[in-house]
Amino acid sequence: MNGVHDLGGMHGMGPINPEPNEPVFHAPWERTAFGLFITTFAGGHFNVDEFRHAIEKMDAAHYLESSYYAHWMHAVEDLLVQRGALTSAEIDGRMAQLAKEAA
Amino acid sequence: MPALPVENVDGLIATGATARMTDDVAPRFRPGDRVRVRNINPTTHTRLPRYARGKMGTVEADRGVFCFNDTNAHGEGHKPQHVYGVRFAARDLWGEQAAARDTLYLDMFEDYIELHVA
Amino acid sequence: MPAPHTDDIALRVRAIESLLVEKGLVQPAALAAIVETYETKIGPHNGAQVVARAWTDPAFKARLLSDATAAIAELGFSGVQGEDMVVVENTPTVHNMVVCTLCSCYPWPTLGLPPNWYKSAPYRARAVIDPRGVLTEFGVELPPEKEVRVWDSNAELRYLVLPERPAGTEGMDAAALAALVSRDAMIGTGVATSSSGAAR
Repeated sequence: MNGVHDLGGMHGMGPINPEPNEPVFHAPWERTAFGLFITTFAGGHFNVDEFRHAIEKMDAAHYLESSYYAHWMHAVEDLLVQRGALTSAEIDGRMAQLAKEAA
Repeated sequence: MPALPVENVDGLIATGATARMTDDVAPRFRPGDRVRVRNINPTTHTRLPRYARGKMGTVEADRGVFCFNDTNAHGEGHKPQHVYGVRFAARDLWGEQAAARDTLYLDMFEDYIELHVA
Repeated sequence: MPAPHTDDIALRVRAIESLLVEKGLVQPAALAAIVETYETKIGPHNGAQVVARAWTDPAFKARLLSDATAAIAELGFSGVQGEDMVVVENTPTVHNMVVCTLCSCYPWPTLGLPPNWYKSAPYRARAVIDPRGVLTEFGVELPPEKEVRVWDSNAELRYLVLPERPAGTEGMDAAALAALVSRDAMIGTGVATSSSGAAR
């Protein structure tokens, strides 16, 4: 698909800004997101091409504004819901429950 | 679907999952062939970047037979085919602003390219 | 359609993790082991060993350039996102640089997980159309007569750059040489120098 992910040759994306002594993960949730991708991929829920395509289908503006592991998490969630391993209602419910517990 | 057990983690990471396939498929191109990248615009998954479409390149290497991402993303099978390392002159991709000597390499599935007949 | 938003991404990830664990689809110990492996064991120090070996062992270098996956496996590095490797050699006339414009493909067994800039839109957009401008931003100036070769990893091959061995390192052994090989030198956004470090 002619998506926003197909970035080669585009202008106006700004400077590259490498981060000195960059850590492997920038937040605890990134660790979890990475681990969830590997474990669900290994569990046979989707193949890598389905995973990449799920990222490409993200809302274009959101794709550009969000980080790499947010893309991954979007795809993992999208595919697990599509395949029936999770439902959106379950996720919303669990988020509400966790937020309440933390309050 | 079973969960990945912890005792399988090291083996999984060390082995991975190659997309290379053992199917005996005859190559349609050879190193040295001049090829044109097909101008395709599928609304589905593809690993053919837009900037290369319609451009001329030269086959440098036959990488072997691989599972085709474009079909595998949509439950349409592996469609095993040769992948070629194809060299492009930077100026053929980007015009005169590119440095005269610079080049760019892409890995091209057979379905992405056609032989250029001069 | 589910669309995680960045404002509550941490909460969302936690919710999905807890549901998957509860359903028996994810084993927490496995998840922890995966994260630990990529945080502590696999990284550019692996690739630096490959480069140092190639600099000191011509037979290994020949194997590395003809069948990179097998040669790299001799040093114990293999697997996820390095199943099919290609090593490209920098020479006095050629400088190689690797990108993935479509996503962020990267040779994990030798370099670990990619840094943010490699995955970011600016690098992916510009590495192919303006590699010399990108190199300048990384402090690398190349003479116009040197060919810049950009490798866009669009299929399932993964690329590692074999940098040129710096002058003045003739007496050094492989361990000392490995310390000179930075991650960026193996991506091609840097070069190895007699004082460069593996930090970047």
